[in-house]
Amino acid sequence: MPWLTLSVVLPLLAAALTPLLPARPGRAPLVLALGATGLAGVCVAATWIRFDPGQGMQLVEEATWIPSLDVAWRLGVDGMALVLAAMTVVLFVVSIVHGLGPEPMSRAAAGLLLLLEASCLAFFLAEDFFLFYIAFDVTLVAMYFLIALWGGEQRRYAALKFFLYTLIGSLPVLLGIIALYLASDPGTFNMIRLAEEQPLAGSGLGASLAFLAFFVGFAIKTPIAPFHTWLPAAHVEAPTSGSVLLAGVLLKLGTYGLIRVNLQMLPEAFQQFALPVALLGLFSALYGSLVALAQTDLKRLIAYTSINHMGYVVIGVAAAAASGVSTRGRELAIDGAVLQMVAHGIVTGALFLLAGMLAEKAGTRDLRELGGLFRPLPIFGAVTALVFFASLGLPGLAQFPAELQLFLGAFDAFPAVGALAVTGIVITAGLFLLALQRAFMGETPERLLGLADLTRREWLTLAPLLLLTVALGVYPRLALDAIHAASWLT
Amino acid sequence: MSDNGGTLEQAKAAEDMMLRELAWLWPIGVLTAAAIVAVVLAMVLPRERQRLVGAWVAGAHLTCAALAAAVWLDRGFRSTMSGMVLVDGLSLALAGIVGVAGAACVALAAPAVQDTDREGEFYAMLTFASLGCVVLGSTADAALLALAIGALGLATFVLTGYRRGSTRANEASIKYYVFGTVSGAVMVYGLSWWFGLAGTTSLRTIGVALQSAPAGVVAVSTGLVLVGLFYKAAVVPFHFWTPDAYDGAPLAVAAYLSLLPKLAALVALSRVLTLALPGDLAGWSTVVAVAAAVTMSLGNLAALRQQSAVRLLAYSSIAQSGYLLMAVAALERSDRALPALVYYAMAYAVANLAAFAVVIAVQRERGSVELSAFAGLGRRHPWQAAALGLSLLSLVGIPPVTGFVGKLELFTASIDAGQSWLAVVAVINTVISLFYYLRLLAPAVLEPTPTTPSDLGRSLAGRTVLRTALATSAAAVLLFGLAAQPLLALAERAIMLPL
Repeated sequence: MPWLTLSVVLPLLAAALTPLLPARPGRAPLVLALGATGLAGVCVAATWIRFDPGQGMQLVEEATWIPSLDVAWRLGVDGMALVLAAMTVVLFVVSIVHGLGPEPMSRAAAGLLLLLEASCLAFFLAEDFFLFYIAFDVTLVAMYFLIALWGGEQRRYAALKFFLYTLIGSLPVLLGIIALYLASDPGTFNMIRLAEEQPLAGSGLGASLAFLAFFVGFAIKTPIAPFHTWLPAAHVEAPTSGSVLLAGVLLKLGTYGLIRVNLQMLPEAFQQFALPVALLGLFSALYGSLVALAQTDLKRLIAYTSINHMGYVVIGVAAAAASGVSTRGRELAIDGAVLQMVAHGIVTGALFLLAGMLAEKAGTRDLRELGGLFRPLPIFGAVTALVFFASLGLPGLAQFPAELQLFLGAFDAFPAVGALAVTGIVITAGLFLLALQRAFMGETPERLLGLADLTRREWLTLAPLLLLTVALGVYPRLALDAIHAASWLT
Repeated sequence: MSDNGGTLEQAKAAEDMMLRELAWLWPIGVLTAAAIVAVVLAMVLPRERQRLVGAWVAGAHLTCAALAAAVWLDRGFRSTMSGMVLVDGLSLALAGIVGVAGAACVALAAPAVQDTDREGEFYAMLTFASLGCVVLGSTADAALLALAIGALGLATFVLTGYRRGSTRANEASIKYYVFGTVSGAVMVYGLSWWFGLAGTTSLRTIGVALQSAPAGVVAVSTGLVLVGLFYKAAVVPFHFWTPDAYDGAPLAVAAYLSLLPKLAALVALSRVLTLALPGDLAGWSTVVAVAAAVTMSLGNLAALRQQSAVRLLAYSSIAQSGYLLMAVAALERSDRALPALVYYAMAYAVANLAAFAVVIAVQRERGSVELSAFAGLGRRHPWQAAALGLSLLSLVGIPPVTGFVGKLELFTASIDAGQSWLAVVAVINTVISLFYYLRLLAPAVLEPTPTTPSDLGRSLAGRTVLRTALATSAAAVLLFGLAAQPLLALAERAIMLPL
């Protein structure tokens, strides 16, 4: 069975079917979306079972598409692609269950979510630049409509900003792809061949320009400060599920590209730029945490901590590209970076869900208007505390093993950068504790006393993420065995 | 051989050869015949039967496309009529586009011109214009070039001024005609220099003569010739007529003007540059590249402020000329340029037709083409909104629709030709263009319908053809992108003669 193809095509097919559903509000769109996502999950699970951790790129599925350009439908997995695809499915299940608002899911909502899901999976699984770029851009279109149709008051502005900024990012990627295509002989969009043959090997001007084109694109997507300005607006205005997917899945497109293209196809050029990239990652990590410290809107705060956490990933990738790094350090850095991508997806997904639920319950996300919530919402409070601790990197929870490995690798390559980046963790710890204190401790305002605690549906939404947060923290090998970079990062 | 010039057999053989030669001219011939018959039909048919002329003309256009395909597959490419007419991949591809898109424009025009007083003449003129386009795209001769430009200008001038009662239409068509004539005259003047230098009107021989001519003379005469072609292709700074003409003309004519004369002029430009100025003579690669950059930038920037969908699409079409010029600029330096030009021409054709079709549908329902008239289109007509979305995303170049593959081809050609800077300019322009295309698309998808009476009691006649044209072009936008291989293969074979 072409499991990988099915995992992309089934959600796409379901998305195409949504206009045919009955127009009156009902459960059909939800059932369709959940069913297709479940089937995609089965396909990814089947792939995981067949996956051999000791090998690199594998289970490649190929079908002719545009032979004139050597474009083909090529899908394949290595450790990184596999775990990210799995994470994508989990986050989409959660987002679909949570829905886009209080009303039952509409046909349009189901269609857009499924389109977004198919394109995210296609992006992670693609081994052909044509498909890779299509998926990269279709995520933009789908997310634009998700924000513009179901967002907050400033949704049109935020959606437009998101679309424009990330298109500015994606077009240089296209130029980079063309540069690699023209440099290969015979010209190809086959990413496996391009990674093996390295048509732009060396650190000449062409390789440097291609590197920078890809880097700018992926940096905007990740986002690395100072390319991040679209992110807070998009997150604040997006519906809760939109934020979950934006932070959980879409940001990973940037760092995934950084590893898949910049690191694997242009290693010499990356070596040349490793230190500047690491410094940008450091700046991003510190900047994100410092700005988050000053936020009073819970969603905005989480958005900025995302910049902080993705900054670590960038440092890890840069460390792996550096010239002075040992093989062991390189593996640690990449293992940690990929694990951090997954862990951040799970944990931040949960964070945005909690922020959304809090806004629904209390009517505001403003930390200044909240207080003493442990009294009316003890279970919600406990869950929030758990996820906050996971996000600040408490041992035993998902992000700790990731950050540990990542920093071990970073210390090997850039000790000073690693040392400074650790201060980011301290600031993040401080800001999460502060937020917990402000919202959940102290006097409870009168109007917050009668709030209802977690409902069954909210439990259902949160449960998978909470389980994975603990599981990845206690037993990181769950993902690490598959990720292990030594087998695929050559 | 006898004194009187040959035996009967020889004469017959010569006649036979000439007739066979004519087979290569089928696409041109069918349009010529169709236009003449259309004029006659328009005169003899009673007013309520005039719509038959439309059907006749649409059929003739489709036949032209079919014959172009038949010639391509059955006969191959040939330089004919003593080398004046080149029947090659490029001209046959253009004839195919003119045939299909021309028929689509007839369908788009049908609801608006139905039962007006000069319905038949409108279709006849449209066919004459198409004839001009096809001839313009296949000529390798300076005199024929001037003739085609003139005929095309005359026919489109009549089309532009079709709404006689409207002062805006009158102003638009007069402007269009005066500037068109002047620029055409400038071009003919330039061609006369070439004739003086080479002593012939054959562009290929001119190309030989120009190589040994003084550089200043070549530069000046080339500049003069380019004026006429740049005008037809709406290249900055000869673009200023576009928004007024589109605004004043019937919408279907605007769709026609933004497409076929432009593509024909760009094909003629490619021929003139490569035939008469071989080997990048007078440095035209760079000149055209700069013109491309300026055209796309100015078109996109001016489109940002437009409040009317038609003017927005007019400036967008100027910007699209700029993108198409990227391929022309790369012609001499990359063999990817010509396929890029042909593919992007087809991509632009279907996307532009679909966009105009939706604008026409909205105009018929709401009586306005202001951007505000598009509010709530998604609620009332989800399929029209979807078609608008697909076509506009294609004009931006967002995958997976056809415009993306087109831009991929264009960017690749530019970078391959060593004009990466132009690709970067095009990238910046693409981002700018997203902004205004979204200004048209966003209200259609995101806003509810304003509570004004939408049913203005307009005639719903001709809705079926309009709907068919809309659905076909929108489907093509998606299909040409997802299944690009056949078109790319065709584009790769659409070579220019002589090799």
